[in-house]
Amino acid sequence: MTLRKEGWVIEKDMSDDAADVQRVLAGDVDAYAALVDRYYDRCARFAVRMLGNRDDAEDALQATFLRAYRALNRYQERDRFSAWLYRILVNQCRSIAARRAHRERVFVREEALLLNAPDRSRSWSGEDEEFVQRVLAELDPLLREAFLLKYIEEMSYEEMSALTGVGVSALKMRVKRACDRLRDRWERIKDE
Amino acid sequence: MSDTEHPYVEWIAREAKRPVELDRGARDRVMAAVRAEGAHRSITPARRRWSKLLEPRVFRLSPALTTLAAAGLVGIGVLAGGLKNWGVRKDGRPLVDTATQSPVPLQTTDTVVKFVFAGPRASTVSLVGDFNGWDTTKTPMARDPRSGTWSVALPLNAGRHVYAFVVDGTTWANDPSAPLAPDDGFGHASSVKNVPGPTL
Repeated sequence: MTLRKEGWVIEKDMSDDAADVQRVLAGDVDAYAALVDRYYDRCARFAVRMLGNRDDAEDALQATFLRAYRALNRYQERDRFSAWLYRILVNQCRSIAARRAHRERVFVREEALLLNAPDRSRSWSGEDEEFVQRVLAELDPLLREAFLLKYIEEMSYEEMSALTGVGVSALKMRVKRACDRLRDRWERIKDE
Repeated sequence: MSDTEHPYVEWIAREAKRPVELDRGARDRVMAAVRAEGAHRSITPARRRWSKLLEPRVFRLSPALTTLAAAGLVGIGVLAGGLKNWGVRKDGRPLVDTATQSPVPLQTTDTVVKFVFAGPRASTVSLVGDFNGWDTTKTPMARDPRSGTWSVALPLNAGRHVYAFVVDGTTWANDPSAPLAPDDGFGHASSVKNVPGPTL
């Protein structure tokens, strides 16, 4: 078994995934729960960071896992299930963000944001999370997506390229621009 | 990590990497929606090979072969016409009992629609509608313990859908946030949801 990057890719997971996919395709709906359990938290983190609120993130997750379930017989075992699932998730997040922009919805600050903030560290509070969300939300969506895939999901540029269909050099540029924007932000606020 | 060498960028990346917790019912709602889809049909290796054979392909035929193939198809058509009663009982019903065959859902678009019902004192709530055959067991809703609301998200085709909520298995209720449909003839006032086509 090899462990790489915060447990994102574990060979054991890959063999477990293949076995679970086969069980689901054989008609065992409950086997899908194992796949959902294995990837839900990682997908939730990406969706919340990408979309900026839990309601939309929950919708993205629901649509992602449903689409993946429906399309499971088209999933090719030569691909990693996690990468295939993430491709669907990224597309769902893009769709939801586009629909949201289209509707010009106004989000009221959620109490749930504070209620659900994980309490794993004394220095971490709902305000911190809200602040990070606000900083990420200031980034252009394509820059934010590239930044999250690179530094939060810790994917290689090749993995990101396979997932997004965007070339490696363009992705490197997006990540660099995202970091530049964050640095610029720091320069603006450090003296305030 | 050369791009993140700046301490502020590193801090943002580190904080954004922290886990996110959605409410506990969210995962249950995913599986409820998956179960509402039904089980995949069994796909054995033999069936997979058969499916492969049936995949659409493009053949290039010479004009002579094309003529021959056309003649063959005409012949098959004539034969099939002669056997048009094949597979039909004397009384005209098909040999295959279609009533026992499970319907294959035809879903061309799938906008996910979230239904929410406020019922803090309810023990169970399910969603019924034209999309699930008004079956009270097919689409159970999950309760959010904090708000006391019940919700479920479903993929629905674009178009008009009529639905209602069933509380505690017996009481039918409409959705106060949605327009009402005319009485369905069974004494239930149902609600209407118009699902737009995909925007992308």
